[in-house]
Amino acid sequence: MKILDPHIHMTSRTTDDYAAMAAAGIAAVIEPAFWLGQPRTHVGSFEDYFLSLVGWERFRASQFGIAHFCTMALNPKEANNPTLAKGVLELLPRYLEKDGVVAVGEIGYDDQTAAEEAVFSAQLELAIAYELPVLVHTPHRDKVRGTERSLALVKESGIAEHLVLIDHNTEETLPMVLDTGCWAGHSLYPDTKMDEHRMVKLAQQYGHERIIINSAADWGVSDPLKVPKTVAAMLEAGIATADVQAIVWDNPVAFFGQSGRLNLDPIAIDQRELWEGNSVLRGQAPVVE
Amino acid sequence: MKARTTPNLETVQAHCPPAQSAWLTRSYAALRAPLDRSRFVAAYAGAGRRMGRTEIDGRALDDLTRITLLTRACAVAESAEHLELVDDIFLRGDNRERGALLRALSFLPGPERFRAVAVEACRTNVLSVFEALACENSYPADHFTDPQFNQMVLKALFMGVAVARIDGLRRRQNDELIRMAKGYASERTAAGRVVPDDIGLIIEKA
Repeated sequence: MKILDPHIHMTSRTTDDYAAMAAAGIAAVIEPAFWLGQPRTHVGSFEDYFLSLVGWERFRASQFGIAHFCTMALNPKEANNPTLAKGVLELLPRYLEKDGVVAVGEIGYDDQTAAEEAVFSAQLELAIAYELPVLVHTPHRDKVRGTERSLALVKESGIAEHLVLIDHNTEETLPMVLDTGCWAGHSLYPDTKMDEHRMVKLAQQYGHERIIINSAADWGVSDPLKVPKTVAAMLEAGIATADVQAIVWDNPVAFFGQSGRLNLDPIAIDQRELWEGNSVLRGQAPVVE
Repeated sequence: MKARTTPNLETVQAHCPPAQSAWLTRSYAALRAPLDRSRFVAAYAGAGRRMGRTEIDGRALDDLTRITLLTRACAVAESAEHLELVDDIFLRGDNRERGALLRALSFLPGPERFRAVAVEACRTNVLSVFEALACENSYPADHFTDPQFNQMVLKALFMGVAVARIDGLRRRQNDELIRMAKGYASERTAAGRVVPDDIGLIIEKA
């Protein structure tokens, strides 16, 4: 089955992961700009990160036949640093206009502070100005309240709800999201967030419309193959193939396709290629398709 | 490639469909003093997708658009800000953005100020970026020192770029360049490799 993992932080993953993902049917990924596990201390660190998302990382994915797209934003956690926040918001328009940037994200609440809300709101405005969909992160702590507040802020901003994907849903938040026009994402994690069997139950209960799943794999304990593993669990539970295909391909393609920048032409692997003089190989024979 | 006149808003708009034309009008009108840098670099970055890359008289529409926006931005920005703008685009632009910048340099006020960026561009391994500066572009012949110009010509030979495409090659011919090109030819011959036919344009006296 053809799979798009619409939330995975590939800069934190290895080339072995890329090879395993391609073998498991993952044809495309979307990498949201995120925090790096340790707070950044300069605006410039964000800029180099943004440049790598549209540059080196996209190249690295292509070397394994995977189409790589990204979303750009100041993440909720670091929105709490006022000296950084202003500078990063000023940087964003240029990066929102770059090719292969398919949404503003991930934005939203973490601690649900006033600073986070101001940055969240400012970035909803940027999404409207630059005609992009939005990927909204919902907080780990006080999730139900955080999701309610996110939906309220989305409504207040005036952005069309079909342009908004609310991520990291649980049994409690999914019905709230489906009651609006927003799309609902689910992050399949080894322990927290959501697992395969809970996801099977949700798909059985709520169907496939506006439902999306992802691995949210990053630099912590996480699994870049969670989407194909969930596909297997859904099929085993008797969910129709077409419905599973909708959840792992048609829906994310439809949602992020609203950017007009999701070019999914197949990628022929050519590992002889270089990115600004640099290769992913270490002396191996290049694979050429 | 046709004679390289400065692209301007009217000529670019004459060649693009209404949707693109409306975007360009908005983006151009937003370039007013004091220059909103964030907005300008966003328009410059987005020009490829917003305008498309169709060719008009041998020049790509996204290139013409970017050159038009950049010359306008320089016209409204303080002169002291120009170098920073040019450096910024080169550092953070993708290959198309860099190519358009290099083709724009001659059209900007005080072009000699941007020589360091042009010299840096010659160090690229990306053919399209190198060609943007070295080929059909008067900037190197007009502003490079002899050592800078000579290095660029040699690099063109190494990259398999036809030296006939280098503007002002005959005008900038110098003894050191002739010596370097002869050295390159003799090294290739000794190694049993082919010497590019057009090396005569460098070696034979103008």
